[in-house]
Amino acid sequence: MRAIVTIALRELRGMFYSPLAWTLLAVLFAICAYMFNAGVLSYQIQMLEYQTYGMRGGLPLTERTIAPMLGNAAVLLLLLMPLLSMRLIAEEKRQGTWPALACSPISPTGIILGKYLGLLLFLGIAVGLLALPPLTLYAYGNPDTGQFLAGLLGLFLTAAAFGAVGLAASSATEHPNVAAVVSFGVLLMLWILSWMGNASGGTVDKMLAYFSLMNHYQNFLSGVISSADLSYFLLLSAAGLLFARQRLMADRVQG
Amino acid sequence: MTETMIHLSGVTRLFGGVKALDHIDLEVRRGEVMGFLGPNGAGKTTTMRILSGLLAPSEGSVAVAGMDVLENPVEARARIGFLPENPPIYGEMTVREYLAYLATLRRVPGRKLRAAVDRAMERCGLTAVGDRLLRNLSKGYKQRAGIAQAIVHGPDVVVLDEPTVGLDPIQIREIRALIRELGGEHSVLLSTHILPEVRMTCQRVAVIHQGRIVADDTLDALENRAQGNSVHFLRWKNPPAADLLRRIAGVAGVAPREEGWLITAAPEADPVPELVRLSAASGWDLRELSQAGGSLEEIFLQLTTREERPEEGAEVSP
Repeated sequence: MRAIVTIALRELRGMFYSPLAWTLLAVLFAICAYMFNAGVLSYQIQMLEYQTYGMRGGLPLTERTIAPMLGNAAVLLLLLMPLLSMRLIAEEKRQGTWPALACSPISPTGIILGKYLGLLLFLGIAVGLLALPPLTLYAYGNPDTGQFLAGLLGLFLTAAAFGAVGLAASSATEHPNVAAVVSFGVLLMLWILSWMGNASGGTVDKMLAYFSLMNHYQNFLSGVISSADLSYFLLLSAAGLLFARQRLMADRVQG
Repeated sequence: MTETMIHLSGVTRLFGGVKALDHIDLEVRRGEVMGFLGPNGAGKTTTMRILSGLLAPSEGSVAVAGMDVLENPVEARARIGFLPENPPIYGEMTVREYLAYLATLRRVPGRKLRAAVDRAMERCGLTAVGDRLLRNLSKGYKQRAGIAQAIVHGPDVVVLDEPTVGLDPIQIREIRALIRELGGEHSVLLSTHILPEVRMTCQRVAVIHQGRIVADDTLDALENRAQGNSVHFLRWKNPPAADLLRRIAGVAGVAPREEGWLITAAPEADPVPELVRLSAASGWDLRELSQAGGSLEEIFLQLTTREERPEEGAEVSP
């Protein structure tokens, strides 16, 4: 356990030693903040229109401002996470630091969990940062806290699944760039799987819809936390980690 | 003191059908420094990677400090420190951070961490650069940091893969002194193809060639086996004719080498005093007299002669 935490903290620190993590957070935050502002402005205009025509009630604030921002944040992370996760294992192998880790008394499972935990800590920071712009809404309006939190949880789980896929890709190659391309391809495919899923409503289509990342994330954004969606993300993450672990074990045999 | 710390038995390793190691047997006892010699591609690195748990053997058993590497991999790894061919350096860490990180991974308890790191830095001459980033250090310091990480957790067994490659002569001398010192508390397996290094640091030598152990003995025994006769190198300012040298009592053979002569003594004879006396008396002006580095080199060459006609695919690296 101590070893896992040690690896995780070094990983986290390593990310912030390089400009990549800072740049990534800055870009993510800037774009999301911009999108959020745009969402709030268009919400204001729509509300004005509503009131001008004397319509009763209003538009759902959270649905119109926070949810779209978090939705877009996930797409951004789909682009950015592979860049972050590509180095986890591949870079160690490329730089020749892998033996120092692999010769230490830690199982492959421990190494994978440590690396993954480090990535999750980073994601925690990223998601925490993205929670800041919506918080300003509390000063002026009455956002739906439940939906907001469900959205944040969904974003974290989605990004965590991205990370697990990235870690799997990183364990399978010595070239970080290859890992990034592979994990980006897999993630994008998973994201858009439902494009074919809604065509006819047959079994295959339903399966495609089930495997689509986007569908599950959408539920979180609309404030629904269901065990089906939770288990989807947990299973996807676990699958990524298991694959990575198997790769490390196979490395010993294949050399 | 005769406890076996490294035990390889019948270790075979295949890489896609090519036998990189062929039934290797090797034992290193507690406190012993064992030289592991062999031409490039003979299987030194593969053996060391198997020993340190990076590679699984295709056949055979490996034990480190009594722990079977296959059955109990994590425990076995807790007892070993490994310096691979390229030091495993995290450039963005300082020397101190780096050693503390790896010491923690290797179960040095928190309260002993600082002392362990300090000691490793001191032994490897890193104290002055403890707070510098590894990335900015010279090759020699990186190599020392690599050695420091192999000993920071006080392992029973230290495995060093060509630790002096790329160092300057002063550094090489320091590292060799360190390796000799390590032999006291750790068991060391040292791979190299620098023969004088073996003489300076090792008590026992194993020679590997084309995936097989072709010799495994003490240095003295090996040298005796190489030849009962001793060889000296002599260089004169006014060298005498070879014929003259051959006629001196106790000289069995004379061969030119560089700017001097390589003189082989007859069995049980010692021609050196006579040679020195004649040199002075006849005005040959002796400039150099040394025990020829030949003996170990020669046995090495004898054992690995097949390397002289390199075979395709003989070099197998993981």
